[in-house]
Amino acid sequence: MPDDSPPALAPPALPPGVRRPRFAESGPGAPPRLLKSAGFRFAVVFAAMFTSAAIALVAVLWWATAGALDRQTDAAIRADAVALGERWREGSGSGLAEAIEERLAVDIENEAIYLLVETATMKKLAGNLDRWPAEAEATNWFRTRVSHDGFEVEARLHRVELPGLRLLVGRDETEREMLRHLLTEGVIWASGAVVFFALVGAWLVRAVLQARMRPAFVTTAAIAGGDLSSRVALSGREDEFDRLAQTLNTMLDRIGTLMAGVRGVSDAIAHDLRTPIARARGKLEEALGTARDEEALRAVIEEGISDLDNISRIFQALLRIAEAEAGARRAAFGPFDLRPVLADAGELYEASAEARGQMLEVSLPDPLEMVGDRDLLLQAVANLLDNAIKFTPAGGTVRLAARRHAQAITVSVADDGPGLAPEDRSHAGERFFRADRSRATPGSGLGLSLVLAVAHLHGGALLLEDAKPGAAQPGLKAVLQLPLP
Amino acid sequence: MVRGMVVSLSMPVLVLAIAVAASYEGAPRVTSDSPEYCSSLAARVAVMPAARREPSKSLAAEGVKLCGSGYPRAGIAKLRRAVKAAQVEP
Repeated sequence: MPDDSPPALAPPALPPGVRRPRFAESGPGAPPRLLKSAGFRFAVVFAAMFTSAAIALVAVLWWATAGALDRQTDAAIRADAVALGERWREGSGSGLAEAIEERLAVDIENEAIYLLVETATMKKLAGNLDRWPAEAEATNWFRTRVSHDGFEVEARLHRVELPGLRLLVGRDETEREMLRHLLTEGVIWASGAVVFFALVGAWLVRAVLQARMRPAFVTTAAIAGGDLSSRVALSGREDEFDRLAQTLNTMLDRIGTLMAGVRGVSDAIAHDLRTPIARARGKLEEALGTARDEEALRAVIEEGISDLDNISRIFQALLRIAEAEAGARRAAFGPFDLRPVLADAGELYEASAEARGQMLEVSLPDPLEMVGDRDLLLQAVANLLDNAIKFTPAGGTVRLAARRHAQAITVSVADDGPGLAPEDRSHAGERFFRADRSRATPGSGLGLSLVLAVAHLHGGALLLEDAKPGAAQPGLKAVLQLPLP
Repeated sequence: MVRGMVVSLSMPVLVLAIAVAASYEGAPRVTSDSPEYCSSLAARVAVMPAARREPSKSLAAEGVKLCGSGYPRAGIAKLRRAVKAAQVEP
C-alpha cells in the first residue's frame, strides 16, 4: 500500500561523491533534533496559543456564570443581614427573631439559612440551623457544609455581631454546586477537545510549513549537488513563500549569469590571447631559423616584444575592469573638476584624429565638479574617443561634449562611423565582445567593458544610441551618465 | 485459633470506631425540613386571618395533609405558599 502521507522534509538523494552539509553535530549536550526544527517550534507556539485562548475562554465563562452566582448570593445575604440589623434596631431581640421566622415561613425556594443565638450562652433564639458552626469564629464570611434534606451541601454564611446577640445569615448553595459540577464536567470534556484540536492544528501547521518549504529545500539541495539549472517551483498563491521562491530564483538567475560571464571571459581569454601569443611565438621561431643577419633578428624580436606588450596591456585592462567592478577603487574617490580631464583627453586624441583626416570637436561647460576616480574616468573617456576615432572614416567628425544637469553630469562621444546594431548594444559591455562589422578593426573588445565598469563604479550608466538616427551611416553616440552626490 | 485472634482484634477496633463516630458531630443540620417545622408552620398559617380564604386555605390543607402523610418537604413547600398567599391578599 503506497504511503500517501505528506512528504517529510527529508533531503533528496545527492549524487555520488557529494557530501551533505552538516549544520551542527548532535552530541550529548546538543538539543534533540525535533527541538531544532522550526516547523516543530511553530507547531508548539500554535498549540500554546490555542490552549491559552481556550483557558481564557473557560476563565471568562466561569467568571460570568459561577462567579456571577457567587456575587449574587453574597449581595442577597448582605442585603438580608442589613435588613435584619435594621429590624433589630427598630425593635429588640424578639422582633429580630420574629423577622427571621417570617422570612423562613415564606422561603419558597427553601434556600435561606438563619441562626440567632445569645452571645453569652449560645442559646438558640431563632433560625433553622441546629448549632453554631465552628468556622463562624474565624471569619465573617465563610462557606461550610450543612445537612439539608438529608444531603450534605455547601452553604455560604455571613456572621453579624449585635449587642448580646450573634446572627448568621446564609444561603444554601446547592444550585451553585450543581452549576460548578456541570461546568467542571464541561471543562474536562472541552479540555480533551482543546488538546485534540491543538495537536491536530500543530501537526497541520508543521505539515503545511514543511510542504511549503520543500520546493526551496529540494532546489537548494539540487544546486548543492551540482544542478545549477534547478529553480524553486512556485505555488501560484503569490504569498510570502512564493515571494521567497521568486527572490531565490532571481538570485540563482543572477548567479547563473555571473557564472556564464566568468565562463565566457575565461573562454575569451583563452581564445583571444592564444592567437597573439601563437603569432609572437611563430614570428620568433621563424626568425630563429631564417634571419639573415643580426639586424633582421633584432627587428623580429622587437616585434615580438611589442606583441607581448599588447598582451600585457590586455591583462592590465582586465585587471582594471575587475577592480572597477569589485568597487576596490572606491577608496580613491575624491572631489575634482571633470572639465580639465575631458580637455586633456580631447587634446590627447586630437593629433590622432588629425592623422586620420578626422575632426575632433570638443564642447565643455565650465566647471564640472564631481566626486569620483579621476584616473579611471580619464581612461573611460579615452576608450570612448579611441573607439570613435577607430570607426570614423576619413573626413568624419568626432564630438566630445559634456553637460551638467541637476542630478548628473553626462559625457557624450559621438562619431560618424557605421554605428552599432541595436541587438549588439546589450552585449557591448561584455568583455572581448566584438560586433561582426568590427572584426576587421584592431582592438581587444575590452574598451567598452571598462567604460561600463567605470560607469557602474560611479553609480552611473552607459547609454549607446545612434548619433544620427535614420542616416545611412548612423554613427554611434556613447553617453556616460555620472550622478552627482 | 485464627478465628479467636480475629475476634480479639476486632473488638477494640469496633470500640474505637464507635468512639470516633460518637465524637464526630457532623455538619450543622438545617431544621426547616423536619416534621416539627411543618407543624410550627401549620400553626403559623392557622392564626393568619387571610389564610381562611382561597388559595391559602386549600394550600395550607394540602401542606398539612402532605406532612401527615410523611412528606414534610412537599408539605412545608405548600404551607410556605399558603403563608405567602395570605400575606399578599388584602
